[in-house]
Amino acid sequence: MKRSTQIGLAAAGVVLVATYWSLSGGETEDSLIYSNLSECRAANQLSASQCEQRFSEASANHLRDAKKFSSVAACEQEFGSGGCQSAVWNGAQVVIPALAGIMLARQFMSGGGAAQPLLPPTGAACPPGTRQPGSGRPECEQPARSSSSSSSGGYYGGSSSRARAYTTTSGQPLVARNISSTGMASTPSVASRGGFGSTSRSFFSSSSS
Amino acid sequence: MRRLRPSPRPDWQAEVERLGFGFHTLDGATYWDESVAYSFSLKQIEEDIEAPTGEIEGLCFAFVERALKDEAILRRLAIPEAQWSLISDSWQRGDRNLYGRLDLAYDGAGPAKLLEYNADTPTALFEAAVVQWDWLEQAMARGLVSRGCDQFNSIHERLITAFGQLREPKPERMHFTCVDEAPEDRGTVDYLIDCASQAGIDARFTLIEEIGLLADGRFCDGASLPIEMLFKLYPWEWLFREQYASALAGSRCQFVEPPWKALVSSKGLLPYLWEMAPGHPNLLPAYFEGDPRCAELGGSHVRKPIYSREGANVTLIEGGAVRDSDDGPYGAEGFILQATAMLPNFDGNYPVLGSWLVASQACGLGIREDTTPITKNTSRFVPHLIEP
Repeated sequence: MKRSTQIGLAAAGVVLVATYWSLSGGETEDSLIYSNLSECRAANQLSASQCEQRFSEASANHLRDAKKFSSVAACEQEFGSGGCQSAVWNGAQVVIPALAGIMLARQFMSGGGAAQPLLPPTGAACPPGTRQPGSGRPECEQPARSSSSSSSGGYYGGSSSRARAYTTTSGQPLVARNISSTGMASTPSVASRGGFGSTSRSFFSSSSS
Repeated sequence: MRRLRPSPRPDWQAEVERLGFGFHTLDGATYWDESVAYSFSLKQIEEDIEAPTGEIEGLCFAFVERALKDEAILRRLAIPEAQWSLISDSWQRGDRNLYGRLDLAYDGAGPAKLLEYNADTPTALFEAAVVQWDWLEQAMARGLVSRGCDQFNSIHERLITAFGQLREPKPERMHFTCVDEAPEDRGTVDYLIDCASQAGIDARFTLIEEIGLLADGRFCDGASLPIEMLFKLYPWEWLFREQYASALAGSRCQFVEPPWKALVSSKGLLPYLWEMAPGHPNLLPAYFEGDPRCAELGGSHVRKPIYSREGANVTLIEGGAVRDSDDGPYGAEGFILQATAMLPNFDGNYPVLGSWLVASQACGLGIREDTTPITKNTSRFVPHLIEP
């Protein structure tokens, strides 16, 4: 057959959620890495219900996949002080690393746009001395837990840091840069506008062929 | 190749509007015309259209290699010197191209002849990829044409695949731009946004006039979001000459079509192709105006501006006299003369075959028909089929 086997048109009703995030660039301003629900909502890239859905998916996957520890001490040995939470898994009380955020990253999964859970940075990536302010490693800085009532369930309460360290579920260290609560705040200022289009205006015609 | 007169679907307007096809009628005149359909044999499609299209694309690649090593060619094509490195870099990097359309004269018998290559800003894409596809499905179901027909048209699925492969890893976000006034331009862009979305890309539209320049040298959209990848339905020869031309090189933006397409999208390509492959069955003799070899074309030829769109400023000269011409604003960069390939005349109608390439693969056909031998922006789009 010389023709397409099927044609779907999103505009005609097929709903698709685009996801995007580049690890290679390292300078993406509005990355789709969110520490918590409120940050996801504030970034305005996904709808509020999509944010909730992504977080609940990630949370369920996280509980299933995270390494289980029998004690807080054993877990914190790996993920740092305050980097763990207790959970119930198959009826047993366990300790797992906290859900530090979610990442919408297609290249990390085979099944499309599901959210990947992110864990706190490991002790290897962020040794204990780097977790306080002023250590010169702002991405490792530990926010105070439960310090803010506006924090809605995420491990990190604040979002002022411009870079933040995580660990992926596969154990890879990851630094998300330039994250801001709005997702847009670090965009450089606009120097000018309207530098394209003048030829078209002078021709009053279609620019295609 | 035959010209069929199938009955239009009684509710054809509603049927094409269901697909989101908003410009089936332009300025009160029918643009989408399903009272006509061209019928081909599979052999005609594969041997006379598909294969030569791939071959010409190969010649064009060879020409890009050649032009980048020859300043005289770049000047002849009126490429501003300040943009040479942008073009060269895009080719050396292997920046991928999305699509293009070869316009061919073909009568079903002799070899198809290349009239021109719309390599940079082709339109009539949605009607080729989707509207005629849906027409064929329905026309077969309703018995308006024979069951078991096919169509040379895998444009849609190839576009979606191509969007996913514009770079590695797949682009996350992509902007799309065109001018405000032209509905067919916007229709093409909207369709491509749809395809990109289906490839999992966050596709956003911004008007060409809204584009801004950030302090760090990147372009941004109307909402000041940086543009990292831009599909522009706006010709390179215009971008090269506007205010932001000097910002192109430092913009860290991947453009689609890539800058190297500027070398093959002007009519200046045609004399060079003929020079590289003289006597090629799918090429017409062509020379730059003023070249002494123009005399070989005799009194009948076509005069085309190096840059022009939609047939503007094209003059058909027969026996030394002007037979048909179309006014327009083009021509400042010079003209080429091309031997006349008389379009076949089907009951007073002249079809031009648009042979589509997606990611440089020949994959579809769209036909424009006019009652004069120069295809213009008033030409009707008519569907085609491959007979069982």
